[in-house]
Amino acid sequence: MPPSPLPEGRAETLVLDRLALDRRDGDGRSFSILALPALTLEPGTSLGVSGPSGSGKSSFLHLVAGLITPSAGRVSWGNRVISALGESERDRWRRGTIGFVFQDFHLIPELDVAANIALPASFSSWRLDAAGRRRALDLAEQMGLADPRRRAALLSRGEQQRVAIARALFGKPALLLADEPTASLDAARGEAIGSLLVEAAARCGASLICASHDASLLARMDGRLDLTPASAKLAS
Amino acid sequence: MNPFPMLLADLRTLRWTAPAIVLLVAIAIASGIAIGAQERALRQGSARAADDFDLIVGAPGSQTQLVMSAVYLQPDALPLLDGRILQALAQDERVAAFAPLGFGDVSRGYPVVGTTAAFAGRWGRIAPREGRLFAAEGEAVIGADVNYHLGDTIAPSHGTAGNQGRHGEESEEEHAHRHEGHDYRVVGRLPKLGSPWDRAILVPIESVWEIHGLGNGHASETAASDAPFWQAGTAKAGPSPDNAERIGPPFDGKRVPGVPAILIKPKSVVGAYALRAQYRQGGTMAFFPAEVLVSLYGALGDIRSVLVVASAANTVLILLSVVLLLIAVNGLRRRRYATLRALGAPRSYVLLVTWLGAALLIAAGCVAGLALGLGATHAVSGLVAARTGLSLSPSIGIGELSQAALLCLVGSVLAALPAVSSYRAPVLSGLRAD
Repeated sequence: MPPSPLPEGRAETLVLDRLALDRRDGDGRSFSILALPALTLEPGTSLGVSGPSGSGKSSFLHLVAGLITPSAGRVSWGNRVISALGESERDRWRRGTIGFVFQDFHLIPELDVAANIALPASFSSWRLDAAGRRRALDLAEQMGLADPRRRAALLSRGEQQRVAIARALFGKPALLLADEPTASLDAARGEAIGSLLVEAAARCGASLICASHDASLLARMDGRLDLTPASAKLAS
Repeated sequence: MNPFPMLLADLRTLRWTAPAIVLLVAIAIASGIAIGAQERALRQGSARAADDFDLIVGAPGSQTQLVMSAVYLQPDALPLLDGRILQALAQDERVAAFAPLGFGDVSRGYPVVGTTAAFAGRWGRIAPREGRLFAAEGEAVIGADVNYHLGDTIAPSHGTAGNQGRHGEESEEEHAHRHEGHDYRVVGRLPKLGSPWDRAILVPIESVWEIHGLGNGHASETAASDAPFWQAGTAKAGPSPDNAERIGPPFDGKRVPGVPAILIKPKSVVGAYALRAQYRQGGTMAFFPAEVLVSLYGALGDIRSVLVVASAANTVLILLSVVLLLIAVNGLRRRRYATLRALGAPRSYVLLVTWLGAALLIAAGCVAGLALGLGATHAVSGLVAARTGLSLSPSIGIGELSQAALLCLVGSVLAALPAVSSYRAPVLSGLRAD
């Protein structure tokens, strides 16, 4: 299987249709984590998601990525209803569509920069072809990473997040999701990483959703979604 | 999908744990293999040592004791057979060859065994590596591992219960019981037999008798003036100087001294059974050493079974604890695998990475265990050889290989447990885990 047969710039319209996510607490009572109005994200645009801790920003991203399924409502990407797919279907869709950037980077510390960037290729193909290797090196260069042979464990936090972004971009995603991408960096580094993310998304024509506290990052987004702790949760 | 980059990264995080797991599994496998291989080597080695001992006749007593003394040369006090049997055997049609065995003396810790030149040459099967077989009284041919040299003089001592000194070393005890004035001259050295006989000093049975003042068993017994010293104190009989040097059968003296054991090489299988039946009565016992060995091997096999079961239980325990360890390790890696899933890795990828990791460690342990087991078997064989002179050639047979393969298989199946628990772990809680 080739790593990613789809061309770049194939972002589609993301539609979140009256999404709700409930959980049960220890006593078996149901409480709401998320309850969203209908939301549509046009291809290639960006959305900032803000809200205090515990307001469900991460859950929102996980719902969009298909890592969890909503209790009610549905997530669709173009004309595919993601929330209705089975787990392995969602895995495949996620692999072909989404690039994920985490607050704590989640690199594999034992692997070097290039291997971390190209790691997603190993999910679907046996060996990394020359084009894949070149792409990993190109991405490292674009992200300003001087030494692609350096072990991830030895990188600074700013460098680690650059590797994480490069890794998210490796599969030519149509939808970039970033969960507090600047939260564990100082202001200057955060600023630089924010710019990199927005530019990278624009360059590959991907839609971008950033969950963040960072006002300057949120200001760069085309749209804005403010989450408030759900009333049901407060009630429980 | 290619799990190996991730797999190597995972193994690299277990820099100390991974070798420890391999070592644990290896030790478990090695103990099982060593027991099996060692038991088989012991069985083959001891059977090979009994090759030239077709039928043994002795005074009534323990067959096992007689086998241990005659075949494996373990020192013991044995009752004597009437020497007249030697005369009867010489005339027996069914006997191809026979040899008396006389034990009791030692030199430098090596047993001095009195027998015939024919048996010293194993009925013609072997020829001396150096020199020749003994041809007269007072001559000796030595086993391959005896540290005397051709032309050396050997002064035998009377073996006592306390005299079990180390081979090649003279002891106080030996010195105190020396047969003064009865020396042997080394005239030949036998090739390596791989049995305790490699450490024996073989002399004419007549010399052993005479040292103990029993005459030489020949009708021509002499006390000529130029007779060698070892006849000095013996009973005098009709002189016949021309025959003074004759040794070996027939033992036609009026009074043939007793011997602890007689080996018989029968002409035929039927003859062998007839001889065995005949000498089972009338104050003697006769048996095939193989009979004794079979029952010994039975006991040895029972011990082996117990040890094998114990080591198998041991192995299963170790495999289980390794699997528990891997489950714990995978629990610590929940977040790492959840990240992979969020990056688009299918569940089967995580399953493969975790299962392969565990299975590889266990398989490496099995292979290392085979090597370790082989090494341990050789070490034990070396010890056995040093103690008994029995040379063992242990080898890893199909039994040991299949044992290792089976454990490897069981280990791989068990390795699926941590993998499945990682496979089933929900991505989200993994991402949230710290």
